[in-house]
Amino acid sequence: MDEHFKFTNKIRNILLAIAIGGLLLAIGAIVIFKPGASRIWANVLLNNQLFLGIALGGAFFLAVHRIAWSGWHTALQRIPEALTSFLPVAFLLMLLVFFGMNDLYHWSQPDLHDPVLEGKSAWLNMPFFFIRMVLYFTGWILLTRAMRKNTNALMDSADAKFHNRRRIFSGIFLVFFALTVSASSWDWIMSIDAHWYSTIFGWYVFIGMFVCSLAFIILLIWFLKGAGYLEFVRADHIHDLGKLLFAFSIFWTYLWFSQYLLIWYGHIPEETTYFVARQENFKLVFFLSLILNFVVPFFGLMKLNLKKKLNWLAAVAGIVLIGHWIDYYQMIMPGAVGEHAGIGLLEIGLTVCYAGIFLFVVLRALASKPLLVKNDPFLEESLHYES
Amino acid sequence: MEDKNYVSVIFDDEEPMLKAVAKIRESNQKIMDVFTPFHVHGLDKALGMKRTRIPIAGLICGAFGGLFGFLFQAWVFTVDYPLVFGGKPYLSVPSFIPVTFELTVLFTALGIVAALLIRSGLKPSKKFEPVHPRITDDRFVILVETEQNEKSTRETLQSMLSGVSNVEIV
Repeated sequence: MDEHFKFTNKIRNILLAIAIGGLLLAIGAIVIFKPGASRIWANVLLNNQLFLGIALGGAFFLAVHRIAWSGWHTALQRIPEALTSFLPVAFLLMLLVFFGMNDLYHWSQPDLHDPVLEGKSAWLNMPFFFIRMVLYFTGWILLTRAMRKNTNALMDSADAKFHNRRRIFSGIFLVFFALTVSASSWDWIMSIDAHWYSTIFGWYVFIGMFVCSLAFIILLIWFLKGAGYLEFVRADHIHDLGKLLFAFSIFWTYLWFSQYLLIWYGHIPEETTYFVARQENFKLVFFLSLILNFVVPFFGLMKLNLKKKLNWLAAVAGIVLIGHWIDYYQMIMPGAVGEHAGIGLLEIGLTVCYAGIFLFVVLRALASKPLLVKNDPFLEESLHYES
Repeated sequence: MEDKNYVSVIFDDEEPMLKAVAKIRESNQKIMDVFTPFHVHGLDKALGMKRTRIPIAGLICGAFGGLFGFLFQAWVFTVDYPLVFGGKPYLSVPSFIPVTFELTVLFTALGIVAALLIRSGLKPSKKFEPVHPRITDDRFVILVETEQNEKSTRETLQSMLSGVSNVEIV
């Protein structure tokens, strides 16, 4: 019951080495290849979005399950909860974008004389952009902090009020998250192509975030079980995570296609430019993202017993995670970098660096408390759960 | 119910019934079927049933439906009745996807229902022959196959389940 994950010096050193090695690789690539400011900032933004999405998806996972008073997930709830502890770091990293505003978002340049963007300037202006950024992150950080504190309180005391409070926090979080996750995707990704807009974009980015988060939870469980922890997470729990990954990968495709089909059918030049830029110059990533995010999980996880095999599921989750990296790439790069974009040492190095930082923060948070919340009233149900 | 080659063991609760299923299986008696008024969790496992093959029927029907939907539209819009709409080419794949998707779902769903009805022999002329008048109400019935002698089977069952309260062996 009191099993702790041990954040040993060895793990710490490996993660720090990964983070620093990735950073050195990226800096080396910058010094040698001189990729230009916009490509560097676009990479920072891409990784910010990817890892922010994994952290937020963890909070969403918990909020949805708790508001429904789900039982099955309680044995593994500490893992998504640890993901959310990355949010303060994500805030600091996102503030870095301030220095790259002009390179990333052409609406932020002074003296635009662009009638379309002048019409959008009530929303797209520098002060409001950062006010919104602070607002989103304050809400996310405070709410997830409250959720974490509440869980920690539930570890020490069996008072039912801590359990009942979870539902209130989840409700507030879900309402706040629904509004902010859409708005943040318009701000940070859609406004790169400032002339273009899509009303389903927020949903599309949000489901991508959730799929990334599910994939990451599966990979963390695979890692922890490999290291000899989490014996209470059985094939039934793995099966349910597999079902979620399968279902939300299909839902992601559904949203992808809803956006594509309407723009393709409508054939309005101001909308189709977005896909023309991607299909002409980014053909490989554009279709690769569909294959990795739809075809692989759809056929890979269709069979029941494959969803229960953790090694197989982790392999699919890894592919899906790479797929969503590519999906963010095709969302950000064509608008921000254009024809100078490419996948090279800079991209790989920076993502490895972020992954190191992310795992460092998350695993340290995971190690700070036992892996099971022992006073959770649903724990017994979760330990005997049958999928 | 012409040849009565079975013994029915009737319970009025699910827990003793589940325990009896395990006991009967341990003693190498063959259980023909179990009737319950509602779904009993863990019964499939206790009976050692193999997983249903209905998903395979679903996959085949779904694949057929998807292919049929796509090819039918492709044939209609290129060969049978070519029509320019929205300035698109005749074979415009994105516009076929929604119908293909819907037909895949439809064929899968109908195929599963059809496979279930055929496999379990449910047809309009099928008569309802309850093994016990109260299995749709509150009784749980295990049918145990009798190999040679109905009487001896009943006796072994009686001695095996003597500790269980409210059990009726017919």
